[in-house]
Amino acid sequence: MSVFNKEWWVTRVPVDYEKVIGVIRDLVIKEPIPVHMKRWYYAMGATPLILFLLQVTTGLLLTFYYVPSPEMAYESVRHISQDVPLGYWVRGLHYWGANLMIIAVFLHMIRVFFTRAYRKPRELNWILGTMLLGATLTMGFTGYSLTYNQLSYWATTVGTNLVDQVPLIGHWLLTFMRGGETVSANTLTRFFVFHELFVPAILFILIALHIFMIHLHGVAELEGHEGEGYYPFYPDHFLKGVYVTLFLLTVMSSLAVLLPPALGQPANPAQTPLHIKPEWYFYAVYGLLKWVPIKVGVTLIMAGLIVMVFWPFIDDWFRAKWPKAPIGYAIGGAVATLTLVLTVVELLAK
Amino acid sequence: MAKGNASNYLVGIFATLFLVVLVIVAGVETKKKAEGKPEIELTGKSKECVACHEEKGVAVKQIEQWEMSKHAEYGIGCIECHEAKKGDFDAFTCPGSDILVGRYPTPHDCAQCHEQQVKEFENSKHAHQFWLLHNDDRAVLEFPVAVKHGCEQCHRIGQMWPDGSVGDCSACHARHSFKKAVARNPWTCGECHVGPDHPHIEIYLESKHGNIFLAKGKNWDLNYSTSNHEKIPLETPVCTTCHMDGTPTQPMTHNVSARLAWESQAPWSYRTVWDEEHLGTWQKKRERMKDVCSNCHAPDFIDEYFLEADLANLQYNEIRREFVRWNKKLYAEGLMSPWKTGDKLWTSPVLDGYDEVPEVKKYYAWHHEGRRFRHGAEMMGADYTQWHGIWEIQHDLIEMINWAAEHGDKEAKAWQRSTSPTKVIPYKLYDVPGNVWGINTEISKPPFVYQTFPDYWDRVKANVEAAYKHGLLSEDQWQLWLKRYEKKEYYMGTQFPEHPKWKLYKERDENDLANMRKQVIDFKLPSPSFWETMK
Amino acid sequence: MAEETTNKERRDFLGKLFFGGGLAASALAFFGAAFRFIVPKRTPPKLKEVLVAHFEELPVGKAKPMEIAGQKVFVVHLEEGYRVLSAICTHLGCIVQWQEDKQRFFCPCHKGVYDKEGKVISGPPPKPLTNFRVEVKNGLVYVWIAPKQTGGTV
Repeated sequence: MSVFNKEWWVTRVPVDYEKVIGVIRDLVIKEPIPVHMKRWYYAMGATPLILFLLQVTTGLLLTFYYVPSPEMAYESVRHISQDVPLGYWVRGLHYWGANLMIIAVFLHMIRVFFTRAYRKPRELNWILGTMLLGATLTMGFTGYSLTYNQLSYWATTVGTNLVDQVPLIGHWLLTFMRGGETVSANTLTRFFVFHELFVPAILFILIALHIFMIHLHGVAELEGHEGEGYYPFYPDHFLKGVYVTLFLLTVMSSLAVLLPPALGQPANPAQTPLHIKPEWYFYAVYGLLKWVPIKVGVTLIMAGLIVMVFWPFIDDWFRAKWPKAPIGYAIGGAVATLTLVLTVVELLAK
Repeated sequence: MAKGNASNYLVGIFATLFLVVLVIVAGVETKKKAEGKPEIELTGKSKECVACHEEKGVAVKQIEQWEMSKHAEYGIGCIECHEAKKGDFDAFTCPGSDILVGRYPTPHDCAQCHEQQVKEFENSKHAHQFWLLHNDDRAVLEFPVAVKHGCEQCHRIGQMWPDGSVGDCSACHARHSFKKAVARNPWTCGECHVGPDHPHIEIYLESKHGNIFLAKGKNWDLNYSTSNHEKIPLETPVCTTCHMDGTPTQPMTHNVSARLAWESQAPWSYRTVWDEEHLGTWQKKRERMKDVCSNCHAPDFIDEYFLEADLANLQYNEIRREFVRWNKKLYAEGLMSPWKTGDKLWTSPVLDGYDEVPEVKKYYAWHHEGRRFRHGAEMMGADYTQWHGIWEIQHDLIEMINWAAEHGDKEAKAWQRSTSPTKVIPYKLYDVPGNVWGINTEISKPPFVYQTFPDYWDRVKANVEAAYKHGLLSEDQWQLWLKRYEKKEYYMGTQFPEHPKWKLYKERDENDLANMRKQVIDFKLPSPSFWETMK
Repeated sequence: MAEETTNKERRDFLGKLFFGGGLAASALAFFGAAFRFIVPKRTPPKLKEVLVAHFEELPVGKAKPMEIAGQKVFVVHLEEGYRVLSAICTHLGCIVQWQEDKQRFFCPCHKGVYDKEGKVISGPPPKPLTNFRVEVKNGLVYVWIAPKQTGGTV
């Protein structure tokens, strides 16, 4: 009858424990990992997940103090950064976590692209991945706007205005995002709800699906290195996750001290600062839009997005047509280089 | 297994690293008063300017100052203010580049963004170069090199530029950081409003306002905006609070003349008529000032204070009248002579000779002492009204009359022979019963004039009424005067019984004097002085 | 052979210590810091003296509601002098009402009743109303009160 007695629990929570442990063992502990994954650069996939969990933690903490109203948003961010015990650290973790998460997602994507891990039968998981990229960038954009300083306010204005150019549904989408015609209190509350509820929920579901798909297919072997063997997920691969978590926390904490996120000036809807720019991960898009007319730019971006989403199928088509020519690598390399160049140019054009 | 062990150690190492960083995080926090550094971004030409200047080490500090400015935050760089077109009076090609630069950013440049401020300034007395309009050529008294480094240094605030603009914004808004906190700091005004002829910073600092500022103001953030009817965020005003800043009921202005009711720097105190088309009458200007006062003070205090201070201004005129009368008389009698260039007489109040004592006395009694007396009264600088003010004026008046007597003026000689104490006040008087600070039951006991002349208040009333009818006092001020006059026994404390402590203090005073006599006055040393024995 | 085993065991133990200890310490530090972030900063209350009335202002038997230093209070003039009582019901924090005709305070939430000195007459309140220290100087009534701590941004 004692609470410490196993029987007591089994009677009250009648679950087949052997089965549960078995499932965990099969699903997680014994999950076969191809040997190439022992090299760390093949293991980028777990990093976004770890960062996502850290972002959820620090994000929840920030919600304790953040007030999503035009009058209070900037002031509450200032309060967090300057008054709340360890507030600047939590905000720094969240800020750097966001940036690192986007870098990690990009790196993971580049790795998957060039190892062609999306090849049959894993095409759908690539599509899930592109949706994850979109959701992550949405988190970045909405999160940036919440600080409600001059730069973020105007980046939000400009960023949402871009949506206006989307054919057919553009204007509807714009008013939907802004909660009206202009950036207002409703935009802020909307962005807050997107940022702390809807998009994280979508991210969560997508990540679950993404991992589930991996489990269904098994982790992809390296092309041309098939049959080199597997090792179990636990303990080696699991430990890698532990190192990465501790390493990331250390790096992010250091960055929070050395390069704390700026507070800027309170948003002033009456005055646009002379130079506004989006966050660095939108530099490529921003740079592109400087060179081409806005309609062309938006169309280009949308076409690019469609190509990216359906890339596994397009790649197959190329390979079927010209089996010898590495067209996929050429296109991928060109896009990656162009993105990098545009980003760096914008970064240097301070 | 060995590998497993290494992994374990690795976790330990990473954990230690993380803990160390966390300790640093906690440590930094206790130190940190992180003021989020504004992001500064530069583009185009300004970027070239900064890069080249930093590389060559030319005027680098100014770039650092600029980085602290609001301009930098808003992305306003070098060229936005230093822009020049070919043919501009100040255009030059920056050496080592092909960038055309304006040497002097004038109010014309500032007005690109700050048009209202520049316009207001142009209409203020700050912009008024009165010294060029009269024959007040200081170079007669002080040669040009001195004037360049003296008068002109401050009065360049009214610089008239070839591009048609007026003024020098950086006189107060120190370049290149242009911080409001600097412009608002009393010592910025004190850069010019200082010294024997207009010691405004000294008057402010000795006033209660300045006293509180000195005691508590060290850490006050003066970098606030008042352009949107904000409440005054300071406990006590600084110069700009009253003369420029906005209040909940009044806009901020760069026209420092907007709230002044007197021309009390002039040789005679007269009600200002400056820019009446924009600013309205002197009463309107005074209303503006009272609006500022009313943010902290009760209306009756404000009115009473200004009535007393205005009477001091009027009183000054009567004293000046004596100086002018004696100077004219002495010229007429041929006891001294004015300056001439060819046949042209120098008849400026500034110059008027200057080589003979009565001329110099007249000048001092206005330009230095007279201003100290009047401005001290308007701005609560008691010592400047008293010892640096009226005491020096009186002293000069007496010296001037003595000089006249020594040089043969009959009236002056008669004055010298007179034994009546009234002779040191040869001019007509203004007054108002009582004192804004409260009722002092014994205050009326000593004043000689109150005791000696039973018709004192009748004479004074006629003078004040005449000034009111002449437009030098407002209707409200006259009514307030009458109110104090009708209850003068109350305001002067005479209707109250003798103060219960009066007797005690009187006894103590007598005791003090008796002891002074005993200790010192009646005390003689035994040995004679050597001078005495030499005789 | 035996020695080797001991060494190996020691290494194993040390390794586990590093692993378990490191993980535990990191988790503890992280969540400790997070907890510190959430817990509101507390600074010791600072009493300050606030002028609440001129002595002649309120006739005996009258009370006036005021808000001082973020707290609702009643200034009451009794025969024996001025009292400043908290208007917060000691039961569950509602604001009490002054009923002048009955010379008592009444809490509408659960019908708590206090007399004019703040003592409980009936109802659920467990304690009398907080009685702040009052000082009368030169005909002016002062109360010593500590501002309530509120969140920084609210």
